[in-house]
Amino acid sequence: MSSFIKNKVNVLMIAAVTLLVSACGNGNANTGSNVSGNPAASAAATAQTSASPEPTMETKDEGVLTVYLNDFDGIIAPLFEEATGYKVELVVGNGAEIMSRVEAEKGNPHWDVLWMDAMPSIHGLGEAGQLMENWAPDNIGNLTDFAKGFVPDNNWYVPTGAHAAGVIVYNTDKVKAEDAPRTWADFSDAKYSKMAGMADPAVAAPAYPFVSWFFGDKGMEGGQALFQGWMDNGLKVYPKNPNVVSALTSGEISIAALQESNAYAMKNKNEPIEIIWPEEGAPASVRVAAIQKDTKNPNAAKAFITFLLDPATQQALIDDGDESYFQPSVQGVNVKPDRAQNAKLVAAEASWASEHEAAIKQWFADQAVK
Amino acid sequence: MRTLLRDRLGWSVSFLLILLVLLPLAAVMIQVLLPGVFFGHLKLGDWKLLLELFHRPLWQKSLENSLLLGFGTTIFATMLGTVLASVRASWSFPTAKLLDASVWLLFITPSFILAQGWVLFSAGEGIAAGLFGWGFVKDFIFQPIGLIFMMTLSKFPFAYLSVQAALEWKMDQLSYAARLCGASRWTMWRTIQAPLLLPAIVAGASLVFMDTIGDFGLPASIAAVYRFPTLPYSIYSAIYTSPIRFDMAGVLSFYLVLLIGLAMLVQFYALRRSRFDFLTGSATRSVPRPAGKLRYALAALNIGFLFIVIGIPIGSNVVISLLKTQGGGFKLSNLTFDHYVMLFSSVGNLMEGLWNSLLIAGSAALFGLIIGIGVAFVLTYSNFRYKRGIEMISILSLAVPGVVLGIGYIFIWNQKWLEPLGLLLYGTPWILVLAAIAGAIPVITRLLTGAMAKVPANLLAAAQLQGDGLGRRMRYILFPLVQSALVSAGLAAFGAGIFDLAVNTILFPPKFETLPVTINKAFEDLDFGYASAATIASSLIVIALIWIAERLLRRKEAKL
Repeated sequence: MSSFIKNKVNVLMIAAVTLLVSACGNGNANTGSNVSGNPAASAAATAQTSASPEPTMETKDEGVLTVYLNDFDGIIAPLFEEATGYKVELVVGNGAEIMSRVEAEKGNPHWDVLWMDAMPSIHGLGEAGQLMENWAPDNIGNLTDFAKGFVPDNNWYVPTGAHAAGVIVYNTDKVKAEDAPRTWADFSDAKYSKMAGMADPAVAAPAYPFVSWFFGDKGMEGGQALFQGWMDNGLKVYPKNPNVVSALTSGEISIAALQESNAYAMKNKNEPIEIIWPEEGAPASVRVAAIQKDTKNPNAAKAFITFLLDPATQQALIDDGDESYFQPSVQGVNVKPDRAQNAKLVAAEASWASEHEAAIKQWFADQAVK
Repeated sequence: MRTLLRDRLGWSVSFLLILLVLLPLAAVMIQVLLPGVFFGHLKLGDWKLLLELFHRPLWQKSLENSLLLGFGTTIFATMLGTVLASVRASWSFPTAKLLDASVWLLFITPSFILAQGWVLFSAGEGIAAGLFGWGFVKDFIFQPIGLIFMMTLSKFPFAYLSVQAALEWKMDQLSYAARLCGASRWTMWRTIQAPLLLPAIVAGASLVFMDTIGDFGLPASIAAVYRFPTLPYSIYSAIYTSPIRFDMAGVLSFYLVLLIGLAMLVQFYALRRSRFDFLTGSATRSVPRPAGKLRYALAALNIGFLFIVIGIPIGSNVVISLLKTQGGGFKLSNLTFDHYVMLFSSVGNLMEGLWNSLLIAGSAALFGLIIGIGVAFVLTYSNFRYKRGIEMISILSLAVPGVVLGIGYIFIWNQKWLEPLGLLLYGTPWILVLAAIAGAIPVITRLLTGAMAKVPANLLAAAQLQGDGLGRRMRYILFPLVQSALVSAGLAAFGAGIFDLAVNTILFPPKFETLPVTINKAFEDLDFGYASAATIASSLIVIALIWIAERLLRRKEAKL
C-alpha cells in the first residue's frame, strides 16, 4: 500500500477521533455553569449557619447541589427545591453502587451530600477524612433519643431515620402461625431445615447492618457460631432483598430475614406472608446524611441536611416515599399506621461495625460458598 | 521513520484501543500494586493478594465455576451454532427467517433478562412446576450442567452469526470436484466445507468462551435461586462491597484477562493451521436449496427449537409483565395490561431513558464501526508488528465485566487536570458513549475480521495496480464483499449497547436517565411487572428499528 493511500486512511481515522473528542469537549462545556438556587429566599440556609464554626455565608456555592442517594429519589428533589429555593441534582443507585462511585471518585468527588442507609460505610468515610466535620444543623435538637445515639462526636453525619434491616417473615401457605419462628435463633432449628433465606451482606446495603448487630452483640465468635448454625441448617443467601422476596413468592424458601419495606410491600400486594418483630429486636439500618469535605456548594448542602431533619420532610417521606416504612429520627412524625406498634430496633455501634466490616463480610462470603 | 509512517493506521487504531479499553482496565489492575495512585498518594500494595485466588474459598469456587461454565458452554454452543448455521445456509424451509430473527433477538437481549426468564420458568413454583407440573425442570436447571444448557441456548448466536457470515460465499468448484471424485456429502463437508469454515468456527467459539466467562447477568440472576459464584460475580462483590476493594477486583480481573489470553493462544494456533482467504473470482453467493420432503420436518424442528430458546426466557418475561401479582397465578382475573399502560402514561422516564440509550448506542455503533473497520483492516491486510496485541485488546472488553471498565473509566476520566482541557468527561453523557464504543469494539471487530479473512489481499492489490486509491478499493471491492458483516456488526453493536447495564450503572451522570438503569431500578424496587413490561416494550422498539435498518441496508445490497 502506498504511503499516499495510507495517509488518506489516517486522515479518516484522525477525523473520526477529532470528531469524537470535540464532541466530548462540547458536551462537557456546560458542566458547572448552571449556578442556581436562591440563597436569599432560603430561611433554612440562613438559619443553619448559626451552628457553623465558619462564616459560610461568605462562601458562595459554585454549582448545583449534587446528592448521592439510594432511595426517595422520586420525591425529594421537588420537596427540597420548594422548601429552600436551591436546585438539586440526584444520582441514585443501590447502596453498593453509590459507595463504589464515591470511592472511585475519591480523587475528585462529584457529590456534595451523601444520604444512604449505610451508616457503617459512611462512618468509614468519616474516618478516612472525606466528610465535613464539626458542623451541625441548628435543628439537630429535634432528634429523638434513639436517633441521638447515632450522632458521631465530630458530627460527620446526621441520622434521618432507621428501618429494620431484617424482620422475621414467613409464608403462611407453608408455615402455620403457631409453628412460625419467633426469635433469630430459631433459624437454626431443624424444623426449618433448607427453608430459610436472607440477603448477602456483601451485596445488599441493609444486610451488613443486619449481620453486624449479631456480631457486635455476641462478639465475633458468637456471631460466627450463630450464622454457622443458620448455614448448617441450609440457609440460602440471596444477593439482595428483592431476591429474597422472589424466593418467598416462588416458594423456594418459607421463612426469611427480610428488610421491612420489602416485607410490608409484599403484604400490601397480598402475598401470603406474615411479619414478626422479634422481642430481642430487629437489627436496624440507619439512614444518615453527610456532607463532602471539599464541597463547592456548602450552603445548599447544609440547607439539605437541615431540611432532612425537619419533621415535615420526614412525614412527607413516610406518607409518599418509596421506602416509607421506617422509624423517623426527629420528634413529631407519625410512622405508617400498619407498621407494628411493638417495632423494636437495635443497632451495632457504627465505629465498631465499620472497623469489622471487611472481616465479617469476608467470613460470611467464604462460609456461604462451602 | 518510514516504517512508522507506513504503520500509521496500525498506530492510530492501537492508540484508540489503548485509550478506550486497555487504559481503564489497566487502571483497575494497577490498584493491586499501587492502591491510591489515582487519589494522589503512592504506596505499595500487597502483591500477595494475587495468590489469594488459591486460598480464599469464594475465589477458588468462582474460578472453578467460571471455567466449568466457560468450557461447557463453548463446546455445546459452538456445535449448536455451527450446525444451525450450516443447515440454514444449505436448505430453504418455511420459518427459516424466524430463526435468523430469533438469533438476533437472543444476541441483543441482555443476559440478565434471559436468565431472569429462565429463573421465572424453572424456579420452585415457577411456570414449569406451577403451570405444567414439571418439577424435574428445577432439578435439571439449577445444577452446573443445567446452567451450561441454559447458557448454551443464550450464547450460541455468537457461533451462528460467525459461521453464517462465513457461509455467505461458497466455493462450488471445490465441491463439484469432490463430487466428481465420488465423495459423499459427509466427506465433502468434512474435507472441504468444514476446513474452510474453521476460522469462523474458531472465531465463534472464542467469542462464546469470552462472553460466557465475562458474563455477569447469569450468575447474578441465578443467585436468586442457586448459589453459583463466578469470577465476574466475585469482581462485582469486590467492587460493590463496602469497604470497596478495587485491588481485589484488579486481582480477579487479572485472572480473567489471563484466561482470555490463553483462549486467544488456542485461537491463534488453530488459525495458523488453516487458510484464511478463499474467496476468488469463482466464488458464488450461496443460496439455500429447497429442502424438498425435508422442508416440513425442518420447519417443525425449527419451531420446536425456537419455542425453547425464545419461548422460555422471553415468554416468561411476557407472562410476568401481564400478571397483576406473581403469586396470583395464571388466572384471567390476575391478568392486566396496566404495566404497559404505565410505561407510556407515567412521568415519561422510560421514553426519555430509551431515547438517551438509543442515541448512545447509535453513536457507539457508528464510531465503533469506524474503529472496527480500521482494526479489522490492520489485522487482515497489514504487516503491522503489534497486530496480535491489537487483536487481544480489541477483544478484552467483551470478557472484562462492565463494572470493571466503568470504574476504570472513572479513574481515567475524572482527573482534575482534565478539567481545564474540557476533557473531564466523567459526569457527562460522553463517557457513556466512550464506554459503549469500548463495549461495541469486540463484536464489531470479530465480525469484520471474520468477513475480511475471506477476501484475499490480491483482490485489493489488483485494483491498486489499476490505480484505485484505498477509498475506491474499500468502496468497490472490500465493502460489497463484506457488506453483510458490516450491517450485522453495526446493528449488533447498536442492539447490545442499548441494554448494557453495568457500565451505565456506574457512569450515568445526574439527571440523565438511560434505559437499563430505569429497568434495573424497577427490578430492584420489586416492580417485576413494570420491569418486564419495560423490557419487552423497549426490546420490541429496538428490534423494529434494527429490522427497518436492516431492510434498508440489505435492499441496497441487492442492487449492487
